[in-house]
Amino acid sequence: MAGDKIFDDELLSRCMSCGFCLPSCPTYRLTGEEASSPRGRITLMRAVQEDRLDVTDPTVLAQSEFCLGCRACEPVCPAGVQYGQLLEQWRDTEWQGRRRPLLARGLLAMMSFVGMVGITLLGLVRRAAVTRRGTEAEPHLMLGCVERVLYPKVSRSARRLVPALRAPAVQGCCGALHAHNGESERGRRLARRLGRRLPGTIVTTSGGCSAHLTAELGADRVVEFSAWIAAGNGPDPAQLRAIMLDENGEPLPPHASGGRPARIGLQDSCHLRNAVGVWREPRELIARLGEYVEVPDAGGCCGAAGSYSVLRPADSRAVLAPKLDALAGLDLDYLAVVNPGCYRQLAGALKGSRTRVVHLAELLATAAPS
Amino acid sequence: MDSTELARRLAEIVGERHVRIAEGDLEAYARDATPLFRHRPDVVVFPGDATEVAAVLTLATELSVPVVPRGAGSNLAAATVPLAGGIVLVLTRLTRILEISGPELLARVQPGVSTKALADAAAAAGLLYVPDPGSQVVSTVGGNVATCAGGLRGLKYGVTRNYVLGLEVALATGEIIRTGGRLWKDVAGYDLTRLLTGSEGTLGVITEVTVALVPKPAAARTGVAYFTDLAAAGRAVAAVIGAGITPATCEFLDRTCVAAVEDYAHLGLDTDAGALLLFGDDGDPEMVEASLARIGQVCTEQGATGVTLAGSIAASEDLLAARRCSLPALSRLGSLTILEDATVPRPQLAEMADRIAAIAAKHRLTIGTFGHAGDGNLHPTCVLDAHDTEAIERSHAAFGEIFAAAMELGGTITGEHGVGAAKLPYLERRLGADQLALLRRIKSAFDPAGILNPGKLGS
Ligand SMILES: Cc1cc2nc3c(=O)[nH]c(=O)nc-3n(C[C@H](O)[C@H](O)[C@H](O)COP(=O)(O)OP(=O)(O)OC[C@H]3O[C@@H](n4cnc5c(N)ncnc54)[C@H](O)[C@@H]3O)c2cc1C
Ligand code: SF4
Ligand code: SF4
Repeated sequence: MAGDKIFDDELLSRCMSCGFCLPSCPTYRLTGEEASSPRGRITLMRAVQEDRLDVTDPTVLAQSEFCLGCRACEPVCPAGVQYGQLLEQWRDTEWQGRRRPLLARGLLAMMSFVGMVGITLLGLVRRAAVTRRGTEAEPHLMLGCVERVLYPKVSRSARRLVPALRAPAVQGCCGALHAHNGESERGRRLARRLGRRLPGTIVTTSGGCSAHLTAELGADRVVEFSAWIAAGNGPDPAQLRAIMLDENGEPLPPHASGGRPARIGLQDSCHLRNAVGVWREPRELIARLGEYVEVPDAGGCCGAAGSYSVLRPADSRAVLAPKLDALAGLDLDYLAVVNPGCYRQLAGALKGSRTRVVHLAELLATAAPS
Repeated sequence: MDSTELARRLAEIVGERHVRIAEGDLEAYARDATPLFRHRPDVVVFPGDATEVAAVLTLATELSVPVVPRGAGSNLAAATVPLAGGIVLVLTRLTRILEISGPELLARVQPGVSTKALADAAAAAGLLYVPDPGSQVVSTVGGNVATCAGGLRGLKYGVTRNYVLGLEVALATGEIIRTGGRLWKDVAGYDLTRLLTGSEGTLGVITEVTVALVPKPAAARTGVAYFTDLAAAGRAVAAVIGAGITPATCEFLDRTCVAAVEDYAHLGLDTDAGALLLFGDDGDPEMVEASLARIGQVCTEQGATGVTLAGSIAASEDLLAARRCSLPALSRLGSLTILEDATVPRPQLAEMADRIAAIAAKHRLTIGTFGHAGDGNLHPTCVLDAHDTEAIERSHAAFGEIFAAAMELGGTITGEHGVGAAKLPYLERRLGADQLALLRRIKSAFDPAGILNPGKLGS
């Protein structure tokens, strides 16, 4: 790397090694080892920057992969260290060519042109919401690559709640996965392209995409769905019905039986909470739908972390385990999520349990005033 | 012995999973929260219990390999930097709270338990663990005992030392001893518990701690008074104490620190003020109200430009939390943050604040000062550019003068962070040659092979 600086010196030097971030870090909680803490990782980055360690050092490589990228270390850092940016710079160098995990290469290939055509078609087959493209005055709904294929109900629900939302089928990818997997520049380009395809306000239902797009296009253009509804777009939150109905207008199970308000918890999306700062709004909305139950450590990562659960399934499960223990005692009817990765992670883990995992947009749609 | 062989021998004790010799792992343990010091160890080991700790120490003594005990590595005196290489012995696997006894008002914990975790467990039992260093979210109880950490409640309640009832310690020679115990009253023998408290990992490795708890006060509240400068705030502190009030908390921050903290915590602090005094008290609700009102009144008499009391418990906690972050928040101002820790008798606070300001000006440095004002404990903190070696030199000179000033005013070179490697050059001036020689004899009685944390106390 012949003297090329990998990290922005200004970002790197912000950290004063106080260690305040240690207790918030899920990987440090698993190992108790400095190298798998935010402070330790920054120490490794410094050693690379100052040529004391090589980028191919096994610990350096292992730690750049082990980090969930959840950015829980950011809001707790009094020095204001922007760890997320450092991580992107790290992976841009680390995960080039043969050093990038094989599966990550596969994932990124999926987001190529051919892949996007496939995703768009699959989204259509799965009946994700679609309309024609609107004008700058009309808000646009971002469909999300993963979400439209795995959870097309989310975009359908969002449009049911706010029919004015435009959702053109050809959107492309926002580039978040690229940015998290060692291709920041490409991630940036894709975000800008998406910005051109969806003019005006872009409403997102995926925390990860939301954070990436906000960083690239600015907070004045991108707004997460629950924050958008809470801000008075769509139906008046005060008029949401506390009895929830399914798509056919039938009462949903807990109400059909006991008639009591549903017990609803929330799993925060890491990026939405830590990078965009949206966490109050979804809670306020849920409190209108039923009995809001705070899940212990709701802001802590569920282990999905974008592509992480695919790349490192065992670590992903280890991060999830304490959350499942906490959930087991809560007797929830619903666990709301605001990100497709968390959706997949938790729906899989809670299959067969009493608690149903749903996207907040779905819950809101079932509670919309008729 | 080369490090691979050393690692093999250590793996026989703790298991292979708990030994690290990869370069990256060693790099991660080459430093703590102290800037400008770093040195890689040869091996890092994570023992799982006291017996393993003792076995590691026996081996190290046999082979004359240095051992540096380490908790969270949040110290600010380079106390866990392995200056001579060797083993860094990390206690973060020992995180069990063994017992909380309401009737006896005590807790028994392993050394790797975080201070906050102990405080939370005590609170859940309706009790209070008093010592609350600013670093409590990360620091360990073992590290707190080994440094005799102070905290925000020091004025009324004292520091860690005042709460340690007993210790289990693995000696360098492999024995495991128990000092003190569960009793306040126990004068059998030399007070090794006190000797080990603040021994900075140079006399033995703490493997279990018994601490005293107190009943949780019924109420606690804080308030803020603004002044034109730090010296004025210092005079107000002396006046408050002089008026016969002993607040639980009495912390001050100068203009630079207020701005940095406000930038992080957004509490609506008055960033135009020259200094801020954060005061608080706890106990019976009516008494707390009276005490806070009285402190506010004395501050106003002393020229406070404004006084506000926190409205709710949450607001009080936010204020305290923000104060705990002053140091890292200051590092927003520059790429290198060097914090020091001098203490003077309370009546000299204002004089010391003035002297620090003059020294900073003389050396053309930005020095923000905050501290546990009630204890006379100041943290002058220099913020500079890490690449500016000439400025770093000037900061060394400035801190030398600051320590000299503190001692001249009847104070000391460290109030709570410890001597570590950073302050060792100043120790003889503080203690005198005879006392230092005695310290060294004590050290060799505990650690004949001199393996424990070399380059620190007793070296
Ligand atoms: C932002 C910030 C605020 C701080 N605020 C305060 C404050 O208000 N008051 C205060 O006193 N300090 C404060 N500190 C300093 C530091 O947090 C304390 O010194 C703390 O007690 C260190 O605990 P640790 O677990 O991190 O120990 P470490 O830093 O790991 O170790 C400190 C010393 O203890 C020894 N040691 C650790 N564990 C053991 C053990 N089990 N047996 C034997 N020796 C051991 C080490 O060898 C070393 O000498 C602050 C630090 C920061 C970064
Ligand atoms: S990242 Fe922030 S919180 Fe963590 S050690 Fe660095 S300065 Fe402290
Ligand atoms: S991003 Fe998450 S996993 Fe990575 S260092 Fe920060 S807190 Fe730890």
